[in-house]
Amino acid sequence: MSNPEASGSSDDSHARSESAVTVQHLVKRYGDFVAVNDVSFSIGEGEIFGIIGPNGAGKTTTVECISGLRTPDSGSISVYGLSPQKDRGKMREFVGVQLQETALPPRLKVGEAVNLFSSFYPHPLNTDELLESLGIKQIEDSIYRKLSGGQKQRLSIALALVGRPKVAILDELTTGLDPEARRETWDLIEGIRRRGATVILVTHFMDEAERLCDRLALINHGAVVVLDTPEAIAAMAGGTRVRFAPSRQVDDKTLLAIPGVTQVERKERYVTVIGDGDLALSVMSYLASIGVSVSELEARKGSLDDAFVELTKDGRSKASGGAPQ
Amino acid sequence: MTSDNGVPKGKSPFSQLLRVEGKLAIRAPYGLGLGIIFPTVLLVVFGLVGSVVPGNVADTGFTILELYIPIILVIGFFGVAITALPIPLVRDRESGWLRRISTTPVGPSRVLAAQLVLNLIFALLGIVIVLLGSAVFFGSTLNVGIYFVFTTILALAEIFSLGLVIAAIAPSQTAQNAISGVLFFAMLFLSGLWYPAAEASGPLQTIMYYSPGGAAVNAMLASVFGTAPSLTSVVIMVVYAVIFAAVAIRYFRWE
Repeated sequence: MSNPEASGSSDDSHARSESAVTVQHLVKRYGDFVAVNDVSFSIGEGEIFGIIGPNGAGKTTTVECISGLRTPDSGSISVYGLSPQKDRGKMREFVGVQLQETALPPRLKVGEAVNLFSSFYPHPLNTDELLESLGIKQIEDSIYRKLSGGQKQRLSIALALVGRPKVAILDELTTGLDPEARRETWDLIEGIRRRGATVILVTHFMDEAERLCDRLALINHGAVVVLDTPEAIAAMAGGTRVRFAPSRQVDDKTLLAIPGVTQVERKERYVTVIGDGDLALSVMSYLASIGVSVSELEARKGSLDDAFVELTKDGRSKASGGAPQ
Repeated sequence: MTSDNGVPKGKSPFSQLLRVEGKLAIRAPYGLGLGIIFPTVLLVVFGLVGSVVPGNVADTGFTILELYIPIILVIGFFGVAITALPIPLVRDRESGWLRRISTTPVGPSRVLAAQLVLNLIFALLGIVIVLLGSAVFFGSTLNVGIYFVFTTILALAEIFSLGLVIAAIAPSQTAQNAISGVLFFAMLFLSGLWYPAAEASGPLQTIMYYSPGGAAVNAMLASVFGTAPSLTSVVIMVVYAVIFAAVAIRYFRWE
């Protein structure tokens, strides 16, 4: 399988007028803890919609409400005009779900699990082809307990897709997969989209979000911080980043005094300055003038990763050394 | 396995589920062991004891085996219902599997139904083997009539409801193991495996007669000799069945 659409050139064309999933003012509390606080978004048919955010941001709770596993405290959700809570029975026929941390019965075989699930749906995919495309055909007689983490994950994906869902909700899709398996899984997701299905993808891998998603909702503390294309969000990081290892300690104040520098971040022995203009040159020449030499210099534009870190910084002082993850 | 091109046509989701749960129950054979093999072993043991000690125990006109048949049957019911039945249910709840099933059109209640059907089959096979074996190999002459069917259904309803209570309230597999283990041995004793209720006296006998197992054994003992079970034992079983079922329904969770 190859990737037909370079994600770099994607635009808003997937945000069609036809909306597959609409979430309005969703609120979900667990006791006193507000997991999701007034989240709204709308997902077009055939769109791959990413939900990103730090751990505990409310991503999983949001998709669990959409899949009908949880009942919102307030707000409304519509999936092709149906309510996940009131019309759960009808909705389950066309929504495929992949949940985090779900184990199968330990002695259930791969082939048995997929065939069982295919019997649940009116128009299932061909299970042989599905297992083949996920690279788990050769282990169809293995019992679940004996599978590796990656094999379990692929089986979980197979179970989510076997019913030919119109909406696939995939939570931490590629966690636990090796790089090659991740790429194969991405191809598979693009295959689902080509069939016209809508995909909701919860992830904490920025490369995955950038590669697959048409639009992203960045959620933090239960609220949508930003909702846009991956490119637009990456652009929010703005500026240039220059990372280097100084020969001796230089404090933030000194660095911020250099023309063009707006932020300073530190991680281990590395310092990253963020700003505008010909940053690398001005920083280097200034540091040289005060007798500090730099090594391992690296300059680049802001990325989705940078935007993520910045947008989820939780009101800490921008100049303070918030270690990027 | 996927010979039908991956689309098992003409098979309902429930029959598929039953088939898969059946295979799993054979790979981890608690139901087979406790519902069929254990009663069979008891049948052989008491059959051999009965053939060494001549028939007509204490002028009742019955052999030891005949007097023990209801105890053996009830113990088989307990083995299946309070051990084999809750094990997969608690495990699949703890692992999130029931929750996963709840996102499909089938829903987790079908898993529960499949487990009930499957374990009832184990219990019924146990009954058939014990009754046939005792008649064919040890010459028992028991009356398997309407009273027997009636008391068996009541006993199964009562004891399976107790199993569902365990499946409902056990918070984890570890807890379920402990609860099932302790309860199973308590029920073995109260059903009269070591010491039949008829030979007990005083408060112990009363406790045995009023226990779920003792009441079932008492009623079945009358029925296998073709007499109506005592009203008391029938009422006790009905009350237990209603209470257990209500508790199970009230507290059962899918996740």
